[in-house]
Amino acid sequence: MKDYAEKIQAHARELLAAGKVDCVIGYETGSDGVNARPAFVYRAEDVGRLTFDDTCTHDLVTYLRNRKGKATAVVVKPCDARAVNLLLLEHQLQREQVVVIGLVCPGIKERAWGQKGEALLGKCQVCAMHNPPIYDFLVGQPIAEEPSPDQRYAPVAALAEKSPEERLAFWQAQQERCIRCYACRQTCPGCYCTECFADRLDPQWLGIRVDAPANGMWHTIRAFHLAGRCIGCDECQRVCIMGIPLSLLNRKLEQKVDDAFKFRPGQDAQTPPPLATFNPGENLGVDGGHGC
Amino acid sequence: MLNRFMSRPALQKWLQTLMADHQVVAPVRVEGLVLFRPVKGPEEVALDYRNTTMSPKEWFFPLSEAIFSYRREDNKVILEPKEAPQEVVLFGIRPCDARGLAVLDKPFLQAPADGLYAQRRERATLVGLACREAGPTCFCDSMGGGPGDASHVDVLLTEVKEGYIVKAVTTKGAKLLTSAQVQEGETEEPVLAGLRPVKSRGIVEAMRRQFDSDYWGKVADRCIHCNLCAFVCPTCYCFDIRDFPVGERIERVRSWDSCQSPAFTRIAGGYERRPSKGERMRQRFAHKLLYFPGQWEGVLHCVGCGRCVTACPVNIDIREVIEDVNALPERAATASAAEKGGDGRA
Repeated sequence: MKDYAEKIQAHARELLAAGKVDCVIGYETGSDGVNARPAFVYRAEDVGRLTFDDTCTHDLVTYLRNRKGKATAVVVKPCDARAVNLLLLEHQLQREQVVVIGLVCPGIKERAWGQKGEALLGKCQVCAMHNPPIYDFLVGQPIAEEPSPDQRYAPVAALAEKSPEERLAFWQAQQERCIRCYACRQTCPGCYCTECFADRLDPQWLGIRVDAPANGMWHTIRAFHLAGRCIGCDECQRVCIMGIPLSLLNRKLEQKVDDAFKFRPGQDAQTPPPLATFNPGENLGVDGGHGC
Repeated sequence: MLNRFMSRPALQKWLQTLMADHQVVAPVRVEGLVLFRPVKGPEEVALDYRNTTMSPKEWFFPLSEAIFSYRREDNKVILEPKEAPQEVVLFGIRPCDARGLAVLDKPFLQAPADGLYAQRRERATLVGLACREAGPTCFCDSMGGGPGDASHVDVLLTEVKEGYIVKAVTTKGAKLLTSAQVQEGETEEPVLAGLRPVKSRGIVEAMRRQFDSDYWGKVADRCIHCNLCAFVCPTCYCFDIRDFPVGERIERVRSWDSCQSPAFTRIAGGYERRPSKGERMRQRFAHKLLYFPGQWEGVLHCVGCGRCVTACPVNIDIREVIEDVNALPERAATASAAEKGGDGRA
């Protein structure tokens, strides 16, 4: 990963100097001097700010929704590259306006203020996609993939083992902590509705009251809106300061869609998304058994 | 120097006594977080924390509550006020957060006072805990406070080897201490937290000078416009109000809101006063460092607790903003560049 920064900078410099893009979204070192943060570079002479290491947690694809109509280059890890595919498939991006600088990713570490993290992020421990599924420029040597579906869904399976009462108690305790800051939504590359149902006044689906039932509704509806769409960057869980394990909800639905349709979002930008497709006579394969 | 001392067992006993006739709200460990929660036994109270994840603001100005309800009866509208709050002992508040409450007092207690807030403040006794260690993003002493600042608490405890140095700051605090086992002595005052200074001198003037700087659009580029900074902040006080039907009654609910939310300034007809990211970002810092001090005799609307710095998902660091703005050249920008800088709309 040592030469990544240099290569990213070279691509960024070339793209900006040639006027192919007017902004490169990448990473720079944050104010703690250790951990990375998103960086927006507009001029070729500023590309020296760009860096890459195992503190680059953010899914930068979420920023592309602000840049409609403006040619932009974005630095993506393989999981973030899936978000590019998702947004292309859903007609939220124009391919010719996005330059994808894809990285081969050996995994990102847990963050701690002012310190290098040690443990790999949960999503990286079970990652089965180290090479970006879409890119214009590739940085790094492709890694041989080792699919590990059982591990990926292990936390979901462990929760499903519990009784409905235990699961209810577990989720209620999580919902009681939620402060509805909407950081989960704001960081999500798949949450791009112009007006979120949670903000709608007419009809008012949710409203401003914050309590465990309303919070539960918020997280459930959001998870359903991401079913078959969540690309598993886990940014929602990372940004949650109240420690709510949102990826459990997303993984559960991902597993359901995977089981029923053999589909994982973001692998490419062509396969029709199963929950936006209707085939007469199809067997939905939903067993209705295990809750989350 | 003559001071008063409370041993560790004496503190546990005092807490027990307080819990018998007060609601005690104290830092508690909840799933890896430290949060102010009502406690029933002294063993629940966390004493080894730097600061709580959420500020104690939520006990005076809750995240979300029904402020009153109303119903119709015999063609009349009956208003039902909220029940008066209980007497509370808020134990373990840090000096920065106590200062945060003093800052909140300004808008909330100015006539006409916010009734619920005023009652809660009146019925609360604050037992402060001085900071022996600073968190990595603490900067209270650059914002007018300090790790041992007793100005805004009723009692201040300072941890030493065998127990705590006790200072009764107000008569309310002295009254609370009558049930405590405290000895007079000459306990050596410990060294308090050392903090990295932030160059905040002159920030109000610098904010005024840089109102139209394109800096705001640049910082806002990476902002994802969640509400985290405002929600963890001990001094942010914006809220929204809506009515909710509950059976036969209507509850008027007040919940925290934030200037960073894209819909914050949206009004009837869909007009948005601050449509660009840069304008929203400027609003946050200008309220804290320009408008509030302008309205309240120079008092900054930030106490340096550092929560927003660690909570921000994309590392928007108010310390960095303060130093950047102070260092910007005098005429950095053209008019309304805040709207033009960076990415613009979002």
